Formats: sequence, structure tokens, C-alpha cells
Amino acid sequence: MPKGSALLRGISIIVAVTVASFLVSSTAVFGINEQPKVTPEVRADIIDIDSMKVFGKLERPSVSYLHQRHTEALEKKNKDCSVCHLSEKDPQSEKERMSTRFMRLKDTTRQEVMDIYHNNCIACHNDTKAAKEKSGPVECGECHQQQATVVSSWQPIGMDKSLHYRHSKAMDKKCEKCHHVYNEKTKKLYYAKDQEGTCRYCHRSKTEENRISLRQAAHGACVECHRERTAKNETAGPFNCEGCHEASQQKLIEIVKDVPRMQLNQPDIIFVKTSAADKEKINPLALMNLVPFNHKAHEQYNDSCRVCHHANLTGCEQCHSIQGNEDGGGVTLEQAMHRPNIDQSCIGCHESQQAQPACVGCHISFEKKQPEGTASCANCHAVPKSEIIGVVGKDDEKMMAARALGQRDAVARTYSDADLPETVVIKALSNKYEPVKLPHRKIVTTMVDKIKSNQLANFFHPENGTVCQGCHHNSPASKTPPKCISCHSKPFNAKDPFKPGLIAAYHRQCMECHKAMGIAKPVATDCTACHQKKS
Amino acid sequence: MSISRRKFLGWLGAAGLGATVGQKAARAASNKHFDGYPESNGVLFDNTRCIGCRKCEEGCNKVNELPEPDRPFSDLSQLDTKRRTTAKAYTVVNRYDDTGGGKGPLYLKIQCNHCLEPACASVCFVSAFKKTATGAVTYDASVCVGCRYCMIACPFEIPAYQYDNAFSPKVMKCTMCFPRISKGLLPGCVEACPTEALTYGKRGDLLRIGRERIRKFPDRYVDHIYGENEMGGTSWLYLSQVPFKEVGLREDLGVTPAPALTSGALSVVPMVVGLWPVLLGGVYAINKRKEKIEQQEKAQAVAAAVEATEAEAKAKMKEALEFQEKQKEKAIAKAVSQALEEAAKAAEEKVSETPAEDADKKSSKEDS
Repeated sequence: MPKGSALLRGISIIVAVTVASFLVSSTAVFGINEQPKVTPEVRADIIDIDSMKVFGKLERPSVSYLHQRHTEALEKKNKDCSVCHLSEKDPQSEKERMSTRFMRLKDTTRQEVMDIYHNNCIACHNDTKAAKEKSGPVECGECHQQQATVVSSWQPIGMDKSLHYRHSKAMDKKCEKCHHVYNEKTKKLYYAKDQEGTCRYCHRSKTEENRISLRQAAHGACVECHRERTAKNETAGPFNCEGCHEASQQKLIEIVKDVPRMQLNQPDIIFVKTSAADKEKINPLALMNLVPFNHKAHEQYNDSCRVCHHANLTGCEQCHSIQGNEDGGGVTLEQAMHRPNIDQSCIGCHESQQAQPACVGCHISFEKKQPEGTASCANCHAVPKSEIIGVVGKDDEKMMAARALGQRDAVARTYSDADLPETVVIKALSNKYEPVKLPHRKIVTTMVDKIKSNQLANFFHPENGTVCQGCHHNSPASKTPPKCISCHSKPFNAKDPFKPGLIAAYHRQCMECHKAMGIAKPVATDCTACHQKKS
Repeated sequence: MSISRRKFLGWLGAAGLGATVGQKAARAASNKHFDGYPESNGVLFDNTRCIGCRKCEEGCNKVNELPEPDRPFSDLSQLDTKRRTTAKAYTVVNRYDDTGGGKGPLYLKIQCNHCLEPACASVCFVSAFKKTATGAVTYDASVCVGCRYCMIACPFEIPAYQYDNAFSPKVMKCTMCFPRISKGLLPGCVEACPTEALTYGKRGDLLRIGRERIRKFPDRYVDHIYGENEMGGTSWLYLSQVPFKEVGLREDLGVTPAPALTSGALSVVPMVVGLWPVLLGGVYAINKRKEKIEQQEKAQAVAAAVEATEAEAKAKMKEALEFQEKQKEKAIAKAVSQALEEAAKAAEEKVSETPAEDADKKSSKEDS
């Protein structure tokens, strides 16, 4: 028996030592990855070559190809794009057009496309290496890497008003240089005057029948033109990747402040309308009052037309009918105008403006919802439809809309200084601190000053007391609004849990507004910054 | 009686069968969800309102008469380190940087969550912890034996132990200010909060408040009230601007109350205590009886064998005796006949001398 236990002890010691040494030597047991952390390079010119996808599942990981590194290398050797890209005559424009594909015009067969990449890439890399220059990889795994070593900083870019103006000026207002439409019958592109629109109305994210993807279209048109003009020593935009797609480079793009209006026969001031089809179906008298809309002013507020005109440049009512239909994606006219949290609708866009520093202080504590009650509807739905029943001509309608808008006097307003208490003394915590002197008038006048130049704000703060409702909430606008203590009990009452107690009401009203507006001082946790210590 | 290998395995099998049967029954029996005491209280913490002032810590310290901390509560640099509850602090606030989406840090106050079905109470074999109808999970130091199972059981790692108290150490944790709420007062931390980041009330009301805030400000909150279902539900509830795990709350706990996780196994205990003696006793009795019968049979067999042997021996003896007797008789007869022959011979010889006389003598003898 003693022999046996000695043997057991010996074995257990050996096992323990083995396990311990294994644990120490193999950090993988603890899930520790000992590989040194490589911070991947950040670039805007990464092209993910997964061209073989069209032939089925990829056998190897796709290749992260750095386009600009190659163009720069070629430039040094005085070589151009044709080293890698073939050109063909465009059947529509009858111009030589460079294909964005590598060394081919079409994706023919799996083997052929694969060979094009392998033979040409590897051959060039080998040649460069033979010439004792810095070259690229030739082994399979060096290109087909499982883990990315570069991270993309690619940013999308669009044509805004300023950029469009600079282009049209450079092109001598020859719109046809870029804009075209497709003729279904002749299967050719042609220029149609006054039918210009954003590229993405036709060129979507993926290539469809008869139309190439936005990516292909933009690179074909923009890059080609920039390259040609540069070759001719004319002023031109960038044609390397970074130039358009790197955030820091985008900031360098010149912005023209006062862009003249684009001329596309768009109205100045109109009534928001229902479609002709809807008018036939529905008695016009059963509709809402009319909304006069300042189209011209809204052009100035936005960077491009497609902020609102998301699918085409026609009026909203052309797709969005009162009942909703397929053309409008089932979105009714009412929803198209009132949907929250979306940039294309009136309310959605107006609401997003509340995030501006001057507005957010008050609006952060208000629920985002369509205001109820006829009074708020009448803000926009201002003109009774009976007034335009007899009006026939379009111009008369426009004049009426303009007159309705002209009657609005949107100016920043509040009560006169005499009616605004200069300071409000709060004694709620007078057992611990000296009373707080709230600079009431200063707060009100500062807030009004900040929104003074904002037409939207002025329009939607129509009464003298509207601004006051930022703090004196949940009560009608009035020269003598209720005080905090009128509603908030002291202390917090668990029987009325939806309403904060007085102390929390004060603190939250001040602190949340300050935080939202980015007012750093006084710091929320510094009690004595507001509450003087009791002497 | 010595235990043989076969018997031991037999018992083990019986025990295993018993345990599985028992567990099934236990699960079926515990298939109900406890939604907490009706009208029980709780606290809703909203981290979009918390400013990280530590007033709650101070309030807690004061009303619970806990020892003065090393650094004053106004020292907000304390928030630079992540802390846990201790025997001297029932609640602590931690700061989580880089969470507020560039709008400053977020804070999380931790304390006992007052589970609807507390793990600490379920493991405590002296019932020192109790889920009271007020919602508070209370602790009775007078019965505590200091096993600290509660500290291991708590999924939120809340109960702390007075390691520096050599003679009467206690487990320390937030009691939701049980003495205060019983009197209708607010818990210390809730009363101290300047922004009502903490709201005290009926748990049902708090859930409604939480849902209402999420409905009103969908952009401000994660669409979930932490503690509504976590670990079967807790009385302390949380609203957050960012996913809860980013502010240090465990998201891997599931919705099963801790006691339910062990009820299957633990429900076997009474079965083991009650049923096993009967079962094992039965097994023992059966074995015992088997042995007894065996012995009886053996004895019988032996007796029978002995009897049979004895009878055989007797028969043999009898036979032997009879044989002997026969031999004896035979010998006697032989001896007699021999003697007679000799006598006849002698008489013949005499007859030869006096043959007639002898012959007569002999014949007369024979006739007689």
C-alpha cells in the first residue's frame, strides 16, 4: 500500500509539472494573440478585385489592389492608362472610351479572365523585378491575402451646387457635354434640353440593362475628361483616387458661395399640389388647405436638388398620390410631406434643423412628433382652397402663393425687456446654499439673438411667448407663464412618477440645455459654480 | 456485510435512475415564472441623465452610516478608476469614456439589483437573505454563518464581506434602504440625486416610465430596459444611451432566474434525503433476505446430505453386520459339519474295529 501511494504521488507531480509548463509555454490557451499589432495602412485607392465573382464562388480571397500606387509607378516611366486598360469605340458617343476593366473589354470565361490577371500582373511584376526596381508580389498568397493589410478611407463624392456651377462655367454652359438621356428606340444617347437631371436618377448602384452603374459612369466620364484636359494642359479636376475620395482632399475643393440659380424652369413660389389624377378622383373641397411653398428659397438652403428630388426633377405629386401607388413606393403624398426622420420630407428636414446648436438646447427635451391640433396644421396649410377655386391660370396660382407667403412676417420676437424679469431668484436649496440668481433676461435675449437670422425658426416661433415655451413647457405661450414650482412638487412624488421633482426639474432644464448647446461652463458637477456657498 | 463490486454498481445504477426521475419531476414542478411581488418597489436608473456627481454615493454613505471614505465624495478623480461595491460602499458610480458618441462620457451606478428571485437568497442555507414584499432584498446578520456563498452566487458581484472585522464580520450590500422605504422615505441615493437619474417607485410604474421615455426619445435610448427580464427580472432597472455592455452591464446573463438554474439539481436533495434511505434500505433488505434464504437452503441441503450419508452408512453397517452374521453362521455350520465329519470318520474307524456298533451309533446320533 505505501508503495502504491508513493507511485500515485509521483505521477501526479509529473502531470502537474507538465500541465503547468504547457500552460506557460502556450499562451494560446489563454486566448492571447501574441502577434504584434500591425496598424494597417489607410488608403482611399483600394480596389477590391473580385472580378471572378461573376463566374461563381471565389476560390481564393479577393485581392486588395492599390490603384494609385500603380498609376504613380507608371507615371514615373512615362506610361499611361493603356498599359492596363483597353479602349473601344463607344457605339453611342462614337468616341474612344477606355474600359474600367483590367486588360479586357468583357468578362468572357472564367479561365480567360483569370489568365488575364495572372499572366499580366505576374509578368509585369517579374519584369520590373528583373530591371531591379521595386516590384509587386508574384506568389499566390501575397496578393490573395486572407487578412487585409490596408484599410479603406474612401469617401463618396457628389456633385453639389458649387461644383456643378464650376463645371458648367468651365464647359461654357454646354450641358450636353455631360447630360444625356437614352433613346429606347434608336438605343442611343442624346441630349435633351431641359431634361437634365442628376446622374444617379438613371445610373444606379449596379449596372442594369442599358445603363452602367454610377461608379462606372462617373469614372468613365469624370476621370476620362479630367485626364484629357490635363493632357491638353487645361484646368481639370483630379483623376487619381485620392483627389476625389480622400476626406482631406475633398476639403480642398473650391466652394463658390453665391451660386447663381440653376435654370430648369423651376417655380419660385407655388402651392404644394395634388396630381391631376387625384383631382379627378377627389373633390378638391375635401382636401386640406393649400401650402404656399418657396421653392427658390429652398434651393438656397440645400446643396443639391436631389436632397428633395430624390428620384427625378418632377413635382412630388407626380409619384406620391393621395392614396399612394407603385410609382411613389406606396408613400402617400401626406407621408411624403410629413414623415419624420427622413431628409426628403418637409417635417423630416425641418426637424433635422433642430439639431443646430442654436436650436438643440430647447428642442432636445421635446418629443419629435407631428404636432397635433389644427393650429399647427394652419402654420403651413395657410390658404383656404376656396380661394383658388376660381383661379384658372398657372401664373395666377403662383401669384396667389407668393402673396400668401408675402403676408407672413417671420421675425424673431419675444416680449419687451420690461416684461422679461431680469433675474429669477431660486431658493429651493436655500437650506444648503445661498439662493441662485438666474440671469433670466440674458438667457432669453441670447436665445432669441441666436435664432434671429434663421427664417425657419422665426416662422415656427410665431408668438412672443413661443420662445419662452422652451423652458416654460407644457403650457400655452403667455406673458406670465407658470413657474417651475407650479407643477413640479418638492420633493419628488412617487405617486406622480412621470413628473420630475422640483430639484431635478431645475437641474435637468439647465444642465441638459447647456450640454446640448455645448456650453462648457458651469460644469454640471461643480455645485458652487451656480450655488454660492452659504456664508 | 462486505460490499461487493457488483452490489456497489447495482446501487449506483439505482441511484442514477432515481436522480433522473427526480429531476424530471422537479423541472415540471418549477415550471412557473415569478413576476415579483405585486406592487413591489424598485429604482429606475437613466444614464442619459446621470452627470457623475457621486451625490448618490454620498447619500448612501450617510443614511446607512457607513465609514467615511478615504477620499471625499466631491473628489471626482475617483471616477478615473473602475470600482466595485465594497463593505464600506453599497453603491459606486463608474465612468465610461468614449461612449457618448462624442458628447462626453456616460456613467453607471452599481449597487444590489434586488433580483425578483435572488441568487444570494437561494444559496443561503440559513435564509439570511430575504426578498421582501417591498422589493428590497434584505440581510439578517444574526443568522449569517459567514459562508459567503451569496458572494459567489451573485451574478452582479455585489455582496461584500467585512474581512477587517475579526469577530463579527457581516456581508454588506445595498438594502434599497429597507428601513427608510418601510417608513415611506426615498432610498438615500435616490433622494440625493440632483437630476432624477434615479427614480424610485413601483416596479410596474418604472417599467411604464422607461417605455414612455424610449417611445418619446427613440434616438436617445437603446430600446431595452435592463433588468426587466435579466436574471428573471430585477427591481433595479436601467435605461441607457448605448448598448448596456458598453457601460459595464453584463448582457450574457439570460432571463432565467438564478434559483431556477439550480432548482433541478437542488430539488433532488429532498429526494436524496428522503428517498435514498428507503431505496438503499430496500436494496440492503433484498440482499439480506437473499443471503438468509441462501443460508437456509444451504443448511437444509447439508442436513439432507448428512441424513442421506447417515442412512447410507447405516445401510452399509447393517449389510456388513448381516454379512458378518452370515459368515459367522457359515463358519459355525462349517465347524459343526467338520466336527461331525471328523466324528464320523472316527466312528468309521471304530466300526472297522466295531463297524456295526459305530455305524449304528452314528446313524442313531444322526437320527436324533
